Amino acid sequence: MKKFITSKDTEYLISLFLSITAALIIGALIMMANGRSPIIGYASLIRGAFGSKYNIATTLAKTVPLILTGLATAISFRSGIYNIGGEGQLYLGAFAAAYVGFTFTTLPGVIGILLAIIAGAIVGALYAFIPALLKVYYKIDEVITTIMLNSVAVLFTDYLVNYPFAANQGKMGGTDMVETSYRLSRLIRLSTLNTSIFMMGFIALIIYYIMQKTSTGYSFKMVGQNATFAKYGGINAKKQMIVAMLISGGLCGVAGVLEVLGTHYRFLQNISPGFAFDGMLVALIVKNNPIGVVFMSIFFGALKTGSIAMENTTSIPSELVLVIQAIIILFIAGEAGFKRIIKDYLMKRNLQQKVGGK
Amino acid sequence: MEENIIELRGITKQFPAVLANDNINLSIQKGEIHAIVGENGAGKSTLMKILYGLLEPTSGEIFFKGEPIKITNPSIAIDHGIGMVHQHFMLLPSFTVAENIVLGTEPRRRKIFMDFKQAIEITEELVNTYGLKVNPHLKAEEVSVGIQQRIEILKALHKGADILILDEPTAVLTPQETEELFVVIRKLVKELNKTVIIITHKLQEVMALSHRVSVMRQGKLVGTVDTKDATEQILAEMMVGREVLFDPLDKKEVEGTTVLEVQELKVKDNRGLFALKSIDLKLKSGEILGIAGVEGNGQSELVEALTGLREIEKGQILIENKNITGKDPREIREMGMAHVPEDRLATGLSKKATITENMMMGTHDKEPYAIKGIHINKKPIRERAERLIKEFDVRTPTQDVLVENLSGGNMQKIIIAREFSFDTPILIISQPTRGVDIGAIEFIHKEIIEKRNEGCAILLISAELDELFRLSDRMITIYEGEITGEFINGEISKKEIGLYMTGKQNKTQEGRA
Repeated sequence: MKKFITSKDTEYLISLFLSITAALIIGALIMMANGRSPIIGYASLIRGAFGSKYNIATTLAKTVPLILTGLATAISFRSGIYNIGGEGQLYLGAFAAAYVGFTFTTLPGVIGILLAIIAGAIVGALYAFIPALLKVYYKIDEVITTIMLNSVAVLFTDYLVNYPFAANQGKMGGTDMVETSYRLSRLIRLSTLNTSIFMMGFIALIIYYIMQKTSTGYSFKMVGQNATFAKYGGINAKKQMIVAMLISGGLCGVAGVLEVLGTHYRFLQNISPGFAFDGMLVALIVKNNPIGVVFMSIFFGALKTGSIAMENTTSIPSELVLVIQAIIILFIAGEAGFKRIIKDYLMKRNLQQKVGGK
Repeated sequence: MEENIIELRGITKQFPAVLANDNINLSIQKGEIHAIVGENGAGKSTLMKILYGLLEPTSGEIFFKGEPIKITNPSIAIDHGIGMVHQHFMLLPSFTVAENIVLGTEPRRRKIFMDFKQAIEITEELVNTYGLKVNPHLKAEEVSVGIQQRIEILKALHKGADILILDEPTAVLTPQETEELFVVIRKLVKELNKTVIIITHKLQEVMALSHRVSVMRQGKLVGTVDTKDATEQILAEMMVGREVLFDPLDKKEVEGTTVLEVQELKVKDNRGLFALKSIDLKLKSGEILGIAGVEGNGQSELVEALTGLREIEKGQILIENKNITGKDPREIREMGMAHVPEDRLATGLSKKATITENMMMGTHDKEPYAIKGIHINKKPIRERAERLIKEFDVRTPTQDVLVENLSGGNMQKIIIAREFSFDTPILIISQPTRGVDIGAIEFIHKEIIEKRNEGCAILLISAELDELFRLSDRMITIYEGEITGEFINGEISKKEIGLYMTGKQNKTQEGRA
């Protein structure tokens, strides 16, 4: 009986591993059905993700926004308030950083970078504050409001970069470049990997600490699990939900800031190919565990980088990776069901042995 | 009466963590009232759910009139004339009584449209045949719990039930309603040749009603006896597996001062109607004040108002002469009130969290459990949890077990351990032993009395009159949001208090008039 109860985490890791394996096998079958060798396909994928210093750097660069948005999802979902609006918060945060970067051009580099990060975090947080207030005080479903606010933010920044803040050099869909001294330095030649990965690491540590080691993290978790219980126990559930949402929005904002300062050096229309949604998938797969978010982001980053290499060398379309991602999620969603099937099977076998032994 | 209408042979049901039924052999005779008793978690409900087709046994066979049958879903059970009335009623509140009764077998006009008129006729016919009086036109939400139960019984009879399974039917009834139900059951059996299986843990009812009793303990059938050969004491021992002594509780005289005062309290319920219409009460340290009432008469709202979980419309609540109106649960706790809520899963616990996490609620941001109120300090938290687990006899392998894996009694002990450990001058305790087994009830009662003897002021809300009579120093009856009487324990019988609980008598109005 003890085994059933205490090994929840191991059990989860096993089923996660099985899900990923199953997804990869199905991916292999798809390759075979198209007349291609899965061994060559996966080999080129792995080589593409980790084959050289450059490839590893590209993989890691991809994890930066994933981890930030993944943690943003984890902290809000764990508190029982569902921030699906990460994409919009990211866009606004990115724009705020670009604005700081091309407007206040005379500050020392460090101050400028800090200012951009703070501005992006505040803008992202404030944008999450709106649906949080609506949820907590008027019971308006935050899932719907945050999704809708995504479109508002993306289209609003579209407008900003095409009209009032369109670049002077005539390029449409982008702002002016940010001040050179505010740009984060690249770490590996040719790759976009830059010092933002250290900032991200630092932020991730703080979030991990808040979620796992503080009474605030405990309050978040209790509010998410049973808000009535939290309230009864003296936790201000409304306040905790709002705080979680602010942190979540701030993180997404910072993800946008780091894209601007580290990768593009300006705000671009369509700056994010859906980072926040990928981050959400990551968090969902690892059940909002902050350490899990880091590892799963690296896995997702590797799949993304590797898939492009795979497409180039084997002409297996990189979209296959999307299929694999989707299948993993499908399996994870079905986790409870699979577990029951396995348990029932084991139980029947045990029982038969018992009966047989009579 | 000798014919076995149902026979269960070797029924075994294995759940992931527990063997709920272990090789059960049980026969039900035609025309008998067969009581199945046992503590919570003994496997009574599981067995009945298997018989009704809601669960499939892992192994074993069911014989109906000597023929083996497989009951894989309730409609097969219904085809064989087996009907079940669940502990939690399954009525549609906005449907009328008649609509609820014909639900699933609706009479139709031209095969499409529901025939409401005929539904009412069917209901009236059922009422006449079985003598269970209900008004077919009322909505289910408008009738009392006792009537709702009648609707459930009629529903089962309408589907052609010859064998009625009643799961804890008296749990929600007043003494008067219980007696009425027994009259109905006796009539069904005697005059209409039905067979009744009744699940309960109240031994008095077993003695009063049944022909035979089957006792279950920890998934096993301990035995079946003729009621006339049994006594409550024997049955209790069979249930628990050892001698049960309900020791008289040791109450000390405590000189008390008033610590909690409620003045002209008015509170609205979730629908916006007044659940409490001007309540006044005083609670002294070292006394247990019992609130007796049929559920849904404002008790829950009173508790919620006292603990800051519900807004106060009018009046005030004073803790040691300080007004708590408008304060949140945390501030009220800090003023000296702890609370054992009526619904442990909805309010008292997070079942997805571990025992430790549940026990640290309320201390989670206080020294030494949180350094500077921020950093979780594992060591004292775990030590405290370990101590409380031991002190309150929570049966668990480790403190890292998720609460959802524990039995009801153990869950309740976690809440009581946590709330009692705050050492507050006031304790609000609601339904402390609901769904808790006999052994744990004894333990919880002793803990409550100990708190009282230490000088704690305790407000006890319970649907179990036995519990109120056992523990209270004073009792108040509440009916439709008003206090209908106040008694010193000992000056009134259970039967009499039932009249006050149902509003048939009212001390305060007499006094006021």
